[in-house]
Amino acid sequence: MTNNLKSGKLSIFPLFIWISFGITILAGAAGVILPSLDFFPAAGQTRLSFDPWITLFKSPGLVQSILVTLFTGLAATFCSLCLTLLFVSLFYRSPVWQWFEKLLAPILSIPHAAFAIGFSFLIAPSGWIMRLLSPHVTAFEVPPDWVLVNDPFGITLTLAMIMKEFPFLIMVTLSAASRLRIEPTLHVGQSMGYQKEQVWFKVLVPRLYPHLRLSVYAIIAYSLSVVDMALILGPSSPPTFAVYILKWFNDPSISYKLVAAAGSTLLFAMVAGTIFMVHMIEKLAGYAARRWIVNGTRRSPLSRIKFPLSGAIITLIACTGLSTLILVVWSFTLKWRFPEALPTAWSAKFWYRGLADMQDPLVMTLLTGACATLISMVMVIGCLEHDALQKQIRRMDSVFYTFIYIPLLIPQISFMAGVQLLLVIFNLDGMWISLVWSHILYILPYLFITLKATYLDFDPRVYNQAALLGKSRYRAFFGVKLPMLLRPILFSAAIGFSVSVAQYIPTMLVGSGRFFTITTEVVSLAAGSDRRAVAVYALIQQCLPMVIYGLAILLPKAIYYNKKGMH
Amino acid sequence: MKRFSFHLILGLTMVLLLGGIAHAGEWEDIKKQARGQTVYFNAWGGSQPINDYIQWAANEVKNDYGVKVIHVKAIDIAGVVSRIMVEKSAGKNEGGSVDLMWINGENFKNMKSNALLYGPFSQKLPHYALVDVENKQTTVFDFTVPVDNMESPWGMAQLVFMYDSQRLDHPPKNMTGLLEFAKKNPGRFTYPGIPGFHGTTFIKQAMLELCADPDALSRPVDEQAFDDLTRPLWDYLDALHPLMWRKGKAFPESASKMIPLLNDNEIFISLSFNPNEAANAIANSELPESVRTYVHESGTIGNSHFVAIPFNASAKAGAMVFANFLLSPNAQARKSDPKVWGDPTVLGMDKLSPAQKTLFDAIETPEATLPAKALAKVLPEPHVSWVTALEKAWLDRYHQ
Amino acid sequence: MALELKQVSIRKGSDPVIDRVSLRIENGEVATVMGPSGCGKSTLLSAITGSLDPVFTLSGDILLAGNSILETDMSQRNVGILFQDDLLFPHMDIAGNLAFALPPSITGYDREKRVAKALETAGLKGFGKRDPATLSGGQKARVSLLRSLMADPEALLLDEPFSKLDQALKAQIRSFVFQQVKAMNIPALLVTHDPLDCPENSQVLALELKGDPDA
Repeated sequence: MTNNLKSGKLSIFPLFIWISFGITILAGAAGVILPSLDFFPAAGQTRLSFDPWITLFKSPGLVQSILVTLFTGLAATFCSLCLTLLFVSLFYRSPVWQWFEKLLAPILSIPHAAFAIGFSFLIAPSGWIMRLLSPHVTAFEVPPDWVLVNDPFGITLTLAMIMKEFPFLIMVTLSAASRLRIEPTLHVGQSMGYQKEQVWFKVLVPRLYPHLRLSVYAIIAYSLSVVDMALILGPSSPPTFAVYILKWFNDPSISYKLVAAAGSTLLFAMVAGTIFMVHMIEKLAGYAARRWIVNGTRRSPLSRIKFPLSGAIITLIACTGLSTLILVVWSFTLKWRFPEALPTAWSAKFWYRGLADMQDPLVMTLLTGACATLISMVMVIGCLEHDALQKQIRRMDSVFYTFIYIPLLIPQISFMAGVQLLLVIFNLDGMWISLVWSHILYILPYLFITLKATYLDFDPRVYNQAALLGKSRYRAFFGVKLPMLLRPILFSAAIGFSVSVAQYIPTMLVGSGRFFTITTEVVSLAAGSDRRAVAVYALIQQCLPMVIYGLAILLPKAIYYNKKGMH
Repeated sequence: MKRFSFHLILGLTMVLLLGGIAHAGEWEDIKKQARGQTVYFNAWGGSQPINDYIQWAANEVKNDYGVKVIHVKAIDIAGVVSRIMVEKSAGKNEGGSVDLMWINGENFKNMKSNALLYGPFSQKLPHYALVDVENKQTTVFDFTVPVDNMESPWGMAQLVFMYDSQRLDHPPKNMTGLLEFAKKNPGRFTYPGIPGFHGTTFIKQAMLELCADPDALSRPVDEQAFDDLTRPLWDYLDALHPLMWRKGKAFPESASKMIPLLNDNEIFISLSFNPNEAANAIANSELPESVRTYVHESGTIGNSHFVAIPFNASAKAGAMVFANFLLSPNAQARKSDPKVWGDPTVLGMDKLSPAQKTLFDAIETPEATLPAKALAKVLPEPHVSWVTALEKAWLDRYHQ
Repeated sequence: MALELKQVSIRKGSDPVIDRVSLRIENGEVATVMGPSGCGKSTLLSAITGSLDPVFTLSGDILLAGNSILETDMSQRNVGILFQDDLLFPHMDIAGNLAFALPPSITGYDREKRVAKALETAGLKGFGKRDPATLSGGQKARVSLLRSLMADPEALLLDEPFSKLDQALKAQIRSFVFQQVKAMNIPALLVTHDPLDCPENSQVLALELKGDPDA
């Protein structure tokens, strides 16, 4: 009886998300679809037509742009997934794995844009690697004219996305690991004569994948519609489709804004279509693997790739580390020309400048990130608690969990343009609370991805025990359940916060350019020429989430330093 | 007769004087209104020297007029135009998010033709009288579009090329020379991608130099003649692209992105729209001191850039006070100093008082900058319709 | 085929966990290791299956059919194990769980036949398509044992397999297990803390509590 009452009250959380997300998504969709049909009253366009679509399909290089987008998006997703599954199968609980686990938080905290900037400073023909090798090894006095970044097939972009997405999938794997009973399963499988890798692929991967599925879809959506990384590392003529759309959006002539809207609709269709296709492939693969799983073969050829795989992982981590290091070097540079291995003149003046300029944006970033994460967390815990209490009766529809991810699936620029229109109509544009809301749209899904499994696995007996011991449900929840879940909650919050820090388009569009965060400063400076200033700003942007991740990891350790059961 | 003309002159003088007083009175009102207002100035924020200059100007008007200016650092002003359009779509006719914006060319044309601008206002600014509208035609015709006081001039721009004098003795004198250079130094020249302000300017420059009938460019695009007129341009680019940086398969995003490329010798020749860019970048240690500037002997395209007030700006008076300050001899002189920014002034030297003139005379011309004489040949922008036509044709040819 | 422990000692750092244990189990025989919680029973089983945590050091020898298996990889030892939790794979049906254990040398239709036959012997005819979650505790325990045996182990370890079953079920499953071990004619080692679990007339090795091996 108390259970039902409580969960009934809690249903306000999912209800609130349904309504608020629903309105926002509808507004975003309307703001994209209507202009794509030539409806744009500001420019006097009120007659519906397919003209923007016709212009879109006649755009030069469109087919190639779409192909390169699909290639980079699918290759990045596929490789990240394969790498994750291979890594977990071959190295789970090994020293390499534990080492990687320690590095995971700092790697995850690097914003995509900052990473892309550092990576381009590293691998460009005039980048650091080439500087270190020139002229002694390569005999280059001037940088070679090689297409190492901005290559027409988007291979560099794909690699960079893998470096960012693979650690994300590992993190999701870790949070799902508790549900899989990995050790006993490996034990049983091996006692039947199976090689460890084979137990992984026949038994554990099919059970792990459902936990990864939504993250994989999020990666597909992200990598198909990514703008910042594609601008820095992607092909340029033609660019990836999302960048193409951005260029239309920023084209002075109004008719191109309508083409941009049509392009956004198409990009959304591409994302949806790709996810549907991958879903079908999953089903096919599951069907095809059914016989293989039970055919009894014990040995796996995978153990042979152990060595190259560890090499690949170490290279990935080294590249990530060096990409940060090169930013540090550039941030203290005054003069540095090719082929010098290190700057010829150093200076800390860009740091003085950056830190002085950063004070206000820093406060704004912290305030917005903290508020948006806190509100999101309350909503997510409210929903999950509602779901947990309903366990016996009816698990919240999977529809709801899918619904929450929609903001991640709609190309951001057009979605936010639609949202902006709605806000302007209701006179809510340029208000801080609207800005916070726009960040919540993007934080919430990540909190669900990272927290759901752990939260719903919380042993209800502990909670009931606490409630029965004379305490109220309220106290059982705040006094027992939340403290016990402190570690995953804080880690999840750190991810939410770093998502907020990275938001550029919502901050600029919804905030009407009135709110300056570290990211708006980084992005505006990155449009210019000064690598030293950009490096300082990118590092500051990178430090903030890292500090937050550090707190999220250290705080529970400090609070529960003498409680072995909490580690 | 004499008497009559005397009266006439007296009368005219009175009218002018009264007009001036009325004018002054109106300006006083504007200043009064402006006090305490906050002006959101949306301007490109990719350069720390420019950002610093805007910050300096903001501090000045804060002290002198009590107007608070906040620099909204945009990456692309067309995005700001979009926002104003959204506001118009939603019927937000006042309380808009943008008070003043840095603008010119196509963005201006679009805003003007869609009634997104407030004005005419620039004639109300006291310092506007100092603008050299007679000799600097581009301050009244922005990409051939009549300005009609809907935007206030801020600075002058001219296409210039930059090279490292230690790598290159004799920079090319024209487009043909540039091709020769590319043949000798494959992979060491590029221009910013299309569409984009700088890339398009380079294409227009090539068009002006190579086209059989340059006059046709001052008229709206004639679609019949377009193919014939542009054939020499495409032949030229077809020959140039394979000899360019990344074999013409990749282009830098903007002219700013070419500065590091020039610094690292990825390219030997770069381009800019600011004749003092090289000097400023040297002062900022972004380029070696051996970098020099040059222009083609037939002259290069020049234009002006402006500030404009959107129709729904919240702080129009404040915006005008700031625009007026930006036109002041003090602000203009500081801006044209290569150590600060190096953006050439829109003011006429003959209109300044001797004291005001010394502000400009005090500025040293660094070696990296061309003397004023070398920059005298300014080619007018082609008719605005050429931008879209050339960009579209370029994309059709090279974007696949 | 006997399973033989020769002077097996296990230490954790300098703390002894198991001290010089020797035991020989013949084919078809079920020997029992008994002792209270924390006496090192599970550690001994890990040593035999090859999943001993690296913090432990082992001396002595373990032989299967006369050959030392200490250096053999876990997956090559042919030692099956049955836990108190059924550990059926929840995403496969019952037939899938059983087929998973069958050696690859049995192919095609033969696999299905073997699975069907095994289910029949356990009184679970027609259960092949069932989801493991829908089975009763006793049924799961039986399927779990069947699965261990279908991999053709050369020895079977039973890690407190009856401790979660109620009294009536316990007796039933116990006799089912012993019956199956006899039929397979392999050595089996049962670990338990309940004297009632031991088969009649069998070897019993009693372990004592030595310090706290889990600490």
